[in-house]
Amino acid sequence: MDITVSVNGAARAASVEARKTLADFLREDLDLTGTHVGCEHGVCGACTVIVDGRAVRSCLMLAVQAAGSEVTTIEGLAPDGALGPLQQAMRDSHSFQCGFCTPGFVMQASAFLRAHPDAGEQEIREALSGNICRCTGYQSIIDGVLLAARRSREG
Amino acid sequence: MAQIAAQRYTGASVKRSEDPRILAGRGRYIDDLKLPGMLHAAFVRSPLAHARVLAVDAAAARALPGVVAVLTGADLEAVTIPGQDPLFAMMAGPGPKPEYTLLATDKVRFAGDPVAVVVAESRYLAEDGCELVEVDYEGLPPVVSAAFALDPASPPLFANLGDNIIGPHKRSEFGDVAGVFAAADRVAEFRIDVHRHQNVPMEGRGCVASYDAGSGTLTVHAATQSVHVTRMGAAMRLGIDADKVRVVAGDIGGSFGLKIGASREELAVAAASRALGRPVKWVEDRSENLAASGQAREESFEVRAAVSADGDLLGLDVAMVIDTGAYPVMGTMVPGIIEMMLPGPYKLAALGFESTAVTTNKASYIAYRGPWASETFVRERVLDLLAKDLGLDPLEIRLRNIAPRTDPPFTMITGRPLAGVTAKESLERIAEVVDIPAFRRRQAEERARGRYLGIGLATFIEAAPGPRSPEGRSGPMGMEFMRLALAGDGVVTLFTGQMPHGQSHQTTLAQIAADEFGVPFEQVRVVVGDSDVVPFGLTGGSRSATMTGGAALHGARQLKGKVLDFAAHLIEASAQDLEIVDGQVQVRGDPDSAIPVAEVARQAASGEFGADVDTNLEVEASFDGGEGGWSGGSHCAIVEVDAETGLVRIERYVAAEDCGALINPAVVEGQIRGGIAQGIGAVLLERSAYDQDGNYQSATFMDYLLPTACDIPRIEIEHLQTVPLDADVNFRGVGEGGMIIAPPTLVNAIEDALTPFGVRIYEQHLPPARILELIDTADAG
Repeated sequence: MDITVSVNGAARAASVEARKTLADFLREDLDLTGTHVGCEHGVCGACTVIVDGRAVRSCLMLAVQAAGSEVTTIEGLAPDGALGPLQQAMRDSHSFQCGFCTPGFVMQASAFLRAHPDAGEQEIREALSGNICRCTGYQSIIDGVLLAARRSREG
Repeated sequence: MAQIAAQRYTGASVKRSEDPRILAGRGRYIDDLKLPGMLHAAFVRSPLAHARVLAVDAAAARALPGVVAVLTGADLEAVTIPGQDPLFAMMAGPGPKPEYTLLATDKVRFAGDPVAVVVAESRYLAEDGCELVEVDYEGLPPVVSAAFALDPASPPLFANLGDNIIGPHKRSEFGDVAGVFAAADRVAEFRIDVHRHQNVPMEGRGCVASYDAGSGTLTVHAATQSVHVTRMGAAMRLGIDADKVRVVAGDIGGSFGLKIGASREELAVAAASRALGRPVKWVEDRSENLAASGQAREESFEVRAAVSADGDLLGLDVAMVIDTGAYPVMGTMVPGIIEMMLPGPYKLAALGFESTAVTTNKASYIAYRGPWASETFVRERVLDLLAKDLGLDPLEIRLRNIAPRTDPPFTMITGRPLAGVTAKESLERIAEVVDIPAFRRRQAEERARGRYLGIGLATFIEAAPGPRSPEGRSGPMGMEFMRLALAGDGVVTLFTGQMPHGQSHQTTLAQIAADEFGVPFEQVRVVVGDSDVVPFGLTGGSRSATMTGGAALHGARQLKGKVLDFAAHLIEASAQDLEIVDGQVQVRGDPDSAIPVAEVARQAASGEFGADVDTNLEVEASFDGGEGGWSGGSHCAIVEVDAETGLVRIERYVAAEDCGALINPAVVEGQIRGGIAQGIGAVLLERSAYDQDGNYQSATFMDYLLPTACDIPRIEIEHLQTVPLDADVNFRGVGEGGMIIAPPTLVNAIEDALTPFGVRIYEQHLPPARILELIDTADAG
């Protein structure tokens, strides 16, 4: 099927099989390999991207369902490789280790902070509880999000 | 004893050099790799635990457009060499070993055993092809439990072994076991079980293999903990000279012991690439990872404990059975480590230990973070069970039994000296930070209101690297190698066989080398992941901090000596009078004489010096662990157990740790917290479950539950002042400790909370349903 999707601000036209997931479309057809696939059944959150402003699991969405939508991936947060404020706060907090879950956490936290800039620790924990990290025990990730929120409030 | 000097980078939480790429989505993991002409593999797997393979019909799959080939077990058997896992082949003891092929041929041995590999133009098409492969099985009685495997009537998994016992019964005695038990005031007996659970890195296994027929070389792009062990495995099983195999690796999405060496599937993919003459990619999906990549820890222990009336643990006599699953990897090696480590930091005077390893129709027992961890679980559980019987506080029984720090050091009854161990200090620190008497008062008050709080303590040591034995020629972990060079642009370049997969080696090793050589952190590069370039090495066993940190320190010192010898030709001074400060070579204390290191490197490469001048600014370094030393510590958990729902809430978790001198505190704390989180998961959530027919019950994340941000509390960490043993290298490993010590800490706390119900716990997996059962059974009893 022929689709057109806006990905990180650029219109991308492609012909895809109806069964192809959005995650595979981004990774294989558009070479945006920052989106990772961790479980393929919507539990781990590694493949989280933002579609029309909402964080979604790109392993549970078909590429054809994203036709006409605006998709933001991790590559869209750091267009020139320069880290955005959330990513910088995560770096400053030593948030991650192996990095495989990282893009999903960054996208989930990014969408959440935009809607809840004043969120406290417990709300952040709950908002990120659909993303699994096997390395860190989460505290450093939570600290990174809290730091980003504080910096953003303090301007 | 050496003092640890104040240095610039070492000891500081330097920001990771890995993070800019990882946070920007620019990491390069195995599934991100695309090679021209690359094909995709998917495996046909057995739905049965134990069966004969009568026929494999791949005709329909081969006819499917897009499918390039279907290779059955027989197809691959013809072009590969049967044998064992490379790690098992390298480390297992004498005796008959199971012989098997990469893919099942005559029989399948667990649900998930690979039977055929379908290679197609896309992964989607390869999976379509798998659906069309018809396999005719004849079921055999599944050997699912260790108890059945021990029964001579159980059908052997491997015909050449004759039965299902792969590690023969073996008994050792340390100290006067019979005498100690005869003289004890009482002997307590327990059976303690540890359940099967597993690594579950967020990235599963995977590889891209590419065989070049012209040169006869095989390149394997791998997700591995050691490019060299993977290379050995590929060479061995494909029958290629090792120097014609190159293994390269990029970023790796976690492992925790899973990705050591080369798995049967990865080797099958390499063989497929050679057979087809095209690159082939395989990345396992999550259900393959959960069902077939391997599992760990299924062990049982019959324990007898000799104890005095006032709480001295005098002796242990332990019989262990380990269920190593289907294709032996790690299971037969674990009992020996458990035997050595069982006394821990305690004064135990006698240990009897026997073990039996069996093979069963379940996924292979593989290495998982702290593979010998059950020694700590058993010992720390036994101490609490004894304390309850004797009316002692858990802190008191531990302080009473901990070996004193003496000179010469107290020696464990199993033989290793407890040099520099701070176990006692770690317990005392816990008692300073947690007001245990105040907790006991609150616990009593809350119990009166029907709320059940508990406190748990546990103590461990880890041989990371372990003490140097007085007679030992090399150190406790053998040798670690590193090549270091001053590159033409003045960058100090470290080539290491470590293969980081979350450990931050590209940051920590650069910190050490930058300090020792005298350049800014940014002027050090750490090269990993190419068997043609890096020396032999393996990331595992908590070895990198001491062994590779030491190689980096001594190597940078050697390289600096060489650079100064050469720079003496540029600066009119003798090498002894030169120093390197902040990337400048200068006469000691004379900044006006300074030449940038990059200029020294450029001059060395200029070809303008005669043969009498050594311009090769490169060294081969090695490190044997120096004086070594132990990692260790004590943890404390305070929990509340809801007696209505069985839910456990962790109110507070404190870790008092000693891993020697810290290279990067933020990295160390990340390792500690990550290990604790896995330990919490093991107790409260995770279990690799099989039904009685050997069907795997935990093949999705809806069934195999991992801890989330709401399950893991904020973890408080206390770093203990270490006892330095070596003149230069007092960094010790910290990767495994959290996973070793968290399960007994948490289980001890849960049992303490359930004291009013009379609950005694002899197992590790305590999901809500099990806690309710324990309460009910204790009530009934």
